[in-house]
Amino acid sequence: MKYNEAAVFKWVMIFAVTVGSAIALTLLAGGLVGALYALVLAIIGCVYAYRWTREWWHNARDRPGGPDYRP
Amino acid sequence: MESASVPLPHGAAGGHAAQSHHHGPPEANQSSRIDRQTLGILLFIVSEVMLFGSFFASYFFLRVVVHPSAWPPHPFELPVAVAGMNTAILVSSSFTIHYALEAIRKGNKSGMKLGLVLTWILGLTFLFVQINEYVHLGFSARTESFGTIFYSLTGLHGAHVFIGLCLLTAATIRAFRGHFDKDPEKHLGVEVPGIYWHFVDIMWIVVFFTVYIL
Repeated sequence: MKYNEAAVFKWVMIFAVTVGSAIALTLLAGGLVGALYALVLAIIGCVYAYRWTREWWHNARDRPGGPDYRP
Repeated sequence: MESASVPLPHGAAGGHAAQSHHHGPPEANQSSRIDRQTLGILLFIVSEVMLFGSFFASYFFLRVVVHPSAWPPHPFELPVAVAGMNTAILVSSSFTIHYALEAIRKGNKSGMKLGLVLTWILGLTFLFVQINEYVHLGFSARTESFGTIFYSLTGLHGAHVFIGLCLLTAATIRAFRGHFDKDPEKHLGVEVPGIYWHFVDIMWIVVFFTVYIL
């Protein structure tokens, strides 16, 4: 993964769209529905973040200097 | 500690000046995947997210446990439309700072300067609208727990916007002085404030949704 502003901007867009959808749902269906939807989004985000850390660690292990590196 | 030194062959040109003896501890290991400045700002942002997390925890505690009935409590009323406009301003500023960085990546220094100036103006506008909102709200931070947590959460974010404006001011001045270039290592002074500004934007979207909409 590239750690630069462009990568962060991609996440700004993802956040804006998902929270925007939560805002729209809250205004249409009420606070409880919006809160539940936001909770579901947060759980999905946590699952994605966990899987990303596992993939990152797997890639790091295979790189030079990592415990599973084989020249 | 034994100082590392690289022995030079006899007759090396330049005499004493050519002998580069390294004094002190060895150079710190530098990751090839991320530069120090970017890692530093990302770690700082993680710590600030924790800080905001504690304020959100307090907000939800007051809202769910202490005041489970109507929220905001009567007679408090929040200007949702004004805050919505402020959200649009801040999201726009994320686009302008991204434009500034895309411009300098392509070597377009004029575009970078324009993007930085626009971002700074939008950030300042956000702050002024927020202060104006505080003046006309009708309640203070001392007015019940709702007032306290409202001003605390939005004020904390406003402080972060102010810090972001200070970073952008420095970046803009340096940009106009010609300090930045196309090379990624030569425009870190824009990249790092850009990352921080995106964090400020994301955090406001979450604050807006939680405080004004939910």
